Amino acid sequence: MSKVLERLLGDPPSGRDVAAAPATSPLIEIVDLEKRFKTRSGEVVTALSNVALNIQEHEFISVVGPSGCGKTTLLRILAGLEQASSGVVRCGGESVSGPRPDVSVVFQQATLLPWDTVMTNVMLPVHLKGDKSAAAAARAERLLAFMGLKDFAQKYPFELSGGMQQRVSICRALMRDPRILLMDEPFGALDAMTREAMNIELMRIWVEERKTVIFITHSIPEAVLLGDRVIVMSPRPGRVSEIVDVDIERPRNLQTMSSPRFGELCGHIRTVFGAESAMGHSL
Amino acid sequence: MTTSANTPLFHRLQVLLFAVVILAVWEGACRVLHISSLILPTPSEIAGKLVSLSVSGVIWPHLWATLVEIFSGFLLGVGAGLVSGALVSLVPVVERLVYPYLVALQTLPKVAIAPLFIIWFGYGLFSKVVVTALVCFFPILVSVVAGFHATDKDQLDMMKAFGATKWQTLVRLRIPSALVLIFAGLEIAAVLAVIGAIVGEFVGAQVGLGYLIVTLNFNLDVPGVFAVLIYLSMIGLILHGAMRFAARRYIFWIRRSDAAVMV
Repeated sequence: MSKVLERLLGDPPSGRDVAAAPATSPLIEIVDLEKRFKTRSGEVVTALSNVALNIQEHEFISVVGPSGCGKTTLLRILAGLEQASSGVVRCGGESVSGPRPDVSVVFQQATLLPWDTVMTNVMLPVHLKGDKSAAAAARAERLLAFMGLKDFAQKYPFELSGGMQQRVSICRALMRDPRILLMDEPFGALDAMTREAMNIELMRIWVEERKTVIFITHSIPEAVLLGDRVIVMSPRPGRVSEIVDVDIERPRNLQTMSSPRFGELCGHIRTVFGAESAMGHSL
Repeated sequence: MTTSANTPLFHRLQVLLFAVVILAVWEGACRVLHISSLILPTPSEIAGKLVSLSVSGVIWPHLWATLVEIFSGFLLGVGAGLVSGALVSLVPVVERLVYPYLVALQTLPKVAIAPLFIIWFGYGLFSKVVVTALVCFFPILVSVVAGFHATDKDQLDMMKAFGATKWQTLVRLRIPSALVLIFAGLEIAAVLAVIGAIVGEFVGAQVGLGYLIVTLNFNLDVPGVFAVLIYLSMIGLILHGAMRFAARRYIFWIRRSDAAVMV
């Protein structure tokens, strides 16, 4: 049924965008990705369909979409936590079949181990690789200091606020120096003030560490503030409805959010959402 | 974390005062209403009996026997519960084949099997140790299985994303998170261990606090029975307190109010 509808509606705009992508080989390449789930009742649900995307090294990509649009599924496939049903996902030229050492994930919840100190939590990724060197410990200390957590290394997660816990989780993700940082609504559970502070901090990290970031959010302003490009996704089955280039100069800060261009871009993305949901109604 | 330490001294005194009032009312009521000590002895009679049982040394061999039963049975039951719980949780074949039977067996009132154990293992200490072990076994088994099932899905994903092996995930994540429920199971088992030992002695014994209760009861020495009950509740309180202490130490990240404690 959905296949038929898609044909009637024509190719999603993402198809054109991929064709226009630069010729240099991208760090992450997604071609014709589809993900189907089988529900308990045996019904097949298509979470992602026809997703195509090229991401260059050092790019900051924001992904926005309504809940249930498969954005988390997309991230889980990139993280190697789930397999695509069909299509190609390549990372640095290799197809993604499982978790990779050059990809780190920051989850919606900080997922710190409550019985370990902040330091031990940050060291987890290198401990798992058997590296207990002083150099690794020094790197962990540097990261904690960079995130303003210097004095909290020996504290336990339950002694920290939500924002601090998420900062520890970002340190942990950076610990093994990944090329790609996948972030699944990492600030969704934080209050607005903390969230803005974390956005600024994340931009600082991105500049400092030169990672490729894929950042999932349901906040349009957050997506525009952080991203070089914003991937706008449509609800079930999740497709890329539009890719918006954010042509706002960096460095950006909270003042950026009151600039006219910022407002225009947010408004445009909202229109894309509106068009999608209106279509949903007429169907 | 330690709410009792933060509570003002005044509150503790209030609790103590409440006990004094209750005892005084009890004592007064017994005297005024001329209640026979065969039915309800006064607190002072019980206290006198408690002292005489201890000073004369009558209680010690019984206390010792019961303590040995409780501790050996507890250790045996907890050990067996931990091992089988781990096997059921971590080896799918065992879960599939054995767990349904273990659950079915759990519905059986364990104390009802006690007479059989007397036949199989004799009137001595060992049959009581086995009854105690059996009643301690199930809460531990269930809490280990529940504990391993309760591992947070997001944290499992996190370990997987960081490339953890199965063994690393077990040691760094699954065992520590299972500890929370295991300690809740230990608290329950500690209390059940006392019940197990006493029931075992009721069924048939030559020594032990349970045996002493039956004997004193037979001689209509009701104050004596109460005195032994005080010993028993002391043992229960100390065991339970020890488990609480261990829990606070080993699962320190759980606030006391969050802990699933059902005793």
